[in-house]
Amino acid sequence: MTETRSNVPAETRRDDPVLLPPVDIVEDDTGITVYADLPGVPKDKLAVRVDRESLTIEGEISFGLPEKMDAVLAEVQAPRYRRSFTLSRELDTDKCDAVFKDGVLKLRIPKVEHAKPRRIEVKVG
Amino acid sequence: MSSAIDTLKRTFSDVWESVETGWQRVRAQAADALTRFRRGTRRTEPAHVQGDLPAPVWGLLASDVIEDDRRVIVRVEVPGMSRDDLDLQVIGDALVVSGEKRYESDDVHGQWRVRQCAYGAFRRMIPLPVPVRADEAKATCRDGVLRVELPKREPGAPRAFRLKVK
Repeated sequence: MTETRSNVPAETRRDDPVLLPPVDIVEDDTGITVYADLPGVPKDKLAVRVDRESLTIEGEISFGLPEKMDAVLAEVQAPRYRRSFTLSRELDTDKCDAVFKDGVLKLRIPKVEHAKPRRIEVKVG
Repeated sequence: MSSAIDTLKRTFSDVWESVETGWQRVRAQAADALTRFRRGTRRTEPAHVQGDLPAPVWGLLASDVIEDDRRVIVRVEVPGMSRDDLDLQVIGDALVVSGEKRYESDDVHGQWRVRQCAYGAFRRMIPLPVPVRADEAKATCRDGVLRVELPKREPGAPRAFRLKVK
């Protein structure tokens, strides 16, 4: 799994700035688990797009800002997160599983059957 | 030949200097959001994940302070944390947010491939623009964002003083 920097699909490319969410990726024999910190993104504003070759995580930050308030300090500038990855062919993207809780996305993508290491039973003859 | 290399070196050092200056400026601007994570009181390493990647000790927890004539609202990003992981105090004219981000105690096994999210305990001090009634403050935590609403001790529009430059 490698990060994609430039080939963001044209229809999702916008001029507004995006934040790159930090991620953790853990790989084991049966698949990968991706964690991404997306604070401020409600569940209905999170989009995880997976196809055979790529994974794109996109989230829109929702503030629910009361009107007529002055920002004294505003560190959050970009209103959305986006990060794309190219996926290895050994991952089975049809069987992803995503959980989103407290602003953290957990995404599990299993490996296809033939990519998993197999234990070969040796029988003593 | 050697002069070409010297020029190259000089160019490189010029570039490096400007990168460094830029970085220092970014760092100064974001210094408040850059939060150090220490080893927490609870588990800070997932038990079954191996690999050489070090755990990040700095995390970016962006915050906003906004106010109207009645209240000051502070928002801090706290991804992966819920109400029970956070502690809030008003000390002097600052809101102190302490918390701890834990690895979920699940059965993740394997090797680190990318490691960018900071875990552990942190403490953030957020200066408040005016005195507040801490005992009437309300806090909520949703989608990884903490929101604290603090009524002003003396209601009034945000004050601004115009200074004359002589």
